[in-house]
Amino acid sequence: MDFTMIDSRATKCVFLIMMILSCPVMLGWADNWEDIQKESARIKSVSAHFSQEKHMQILTKPLVSKGRFYFQAPDSIRWEYTSPVKSVLLMHKGNIKRYTMDNKGIVEESGGTVEAMQIVLQEISLWSKGQFTGNKHFSATIKGTKGPQIILTPKEKGLSAMISRIVINLSADRPGVMKSVKIVENEGNYTLFEFIDVQINENISETFFREVE
Amino acid sequence: MKAFMLFGHRFLILMATVLLISCSSLSVIRHTDPAAAADAIQRCRRPFLDIPYRVVHSIEAALPGGKTGTVVGVTVFDPAAGTIHSVIMTIEGFVLFDARHDKGELRVDRAAAPFDGGHFAAHIMEDVRLIFLAPQGRLADAGLLENGSSICRYYENQDRIVDVVVHQDDTWEIETYRASHERLRKIRAFSVHDRIPGILELTGFESSNYSLRLKLISAEPVTAQEPGVRSQDSE
Repeated sequence: MDFTMIDSRATKCVFLIMMILSCPVMLGWADNWEDIQKESARIKSVSAHFSQEKHMQILTKPLVSKGRFYFQAPDSIRWEYTSPVKSVLLMHKGNIKRYTMDNKGIVEESGGTVEAMQIVLQEISLWSKGQFTGNKHFSATIKGTKGPQIILTPKEKGLSAMISRIVINLSADRPGVMKSVKIVENEGNYTLFEFIDVQINENISETFFREVE
Repeated sequence: MKAFMLFGHRFLILMATVLLISCSSLSVIRHTDPAAAADAIQRCRRPFLDIPYRVVHSIEAALPGGKTGTVVGVTVFDPAAGTIHSVIMTIEGFVLFDARHDKGELRVDRAAAPFDGGHFAAHIMEDVRLIFLAPQGRLADAGLLENGSSICRYYENQDRIVDVVVHQDDTWEIETYRASHERLRKIRAFSVHDRIPGILELTGFESSNYSLRLKLISAEPVTAQEPGVRSQDSE
């Protein structure tokens, strides 16, 4: 099982998901792309708790993971799982590292994900400016006004074989906050991310995106 | 001539060393009395649950060249029907592998690289079967090891030998060998509670060594009617 060989489509999917999740407030609270871009411009940093529910036909109840994530413009991310598997993904100035807790403690994973991440980092800088339209990987539509829903549909055949759609729900009562993201692989199989305690534009030390501890 | 004979001796020693390294010797089974053999056979059932179960593990993989990675595995198995449904996903929940083994047939519903190569899916499912389902082969011998652990030896198809060893503290090991005694797999189970191990370690010794460390996240019995347990015919 060579993890350095993990399907580039799968790797890209994972990191595109990271990219979407790194923008929980960038989407702003608006019902058109122009306003979204305007709202996005004021976001410098984000931190939040998240829960991840994996729903699959093989499971009768979802597999729940929990953690925290941090974003700092333009493209620094710390995506940290606290349960059931302890894991930290760090992205900062083009460097990508992933750590997991194993029987020897926190160890850096060795994998061939960097190439895919370079593409994703370019996308992050676009998305952080609220530039959803004209995206290479997804076509985007907005539904509703207060607490709108953004639906992303993969453009590429390779991606659409892995993800059928992504549904982003924005908070109805807190402008500028993303409530949840649902990534649908196929009927009955989806991942639901929900965010709580979202903090915007707080000062986050740069070392937090460079070092695991 | 003397030099040739010296070379010949060295060659023989080298070949013997290579053979010793590649072929492990099977454990010696002690036979004390018939009751002990019957007891060993009973104890050798302990690693294999009797009813359908769903287990979720984190899986740490250590690969040749020092490469490592962690994924999450969900397995549903039905010992009576001999069915296995296995899903492997990233920590972020992205499914990389989804396959089921049913009545001797393998069906792969999703296999992203590296799970899509050659017989990779079949090898993964074989490892999963080895961990969760009792050996299908003929019970050839049973007894005790020198240290008092129970051991059962099975001969399976394709010239494979399976040793199931259950220690006195209820931890267990499974080892498989070719008929030539070349070791293929070793599985060790630790932190066993109610017959369910908290940690499983699998080491593969074939073309290149690899190891998987499975840490239990959850285990629950399932009904035979639940998705993942049913055979393909009933779905």
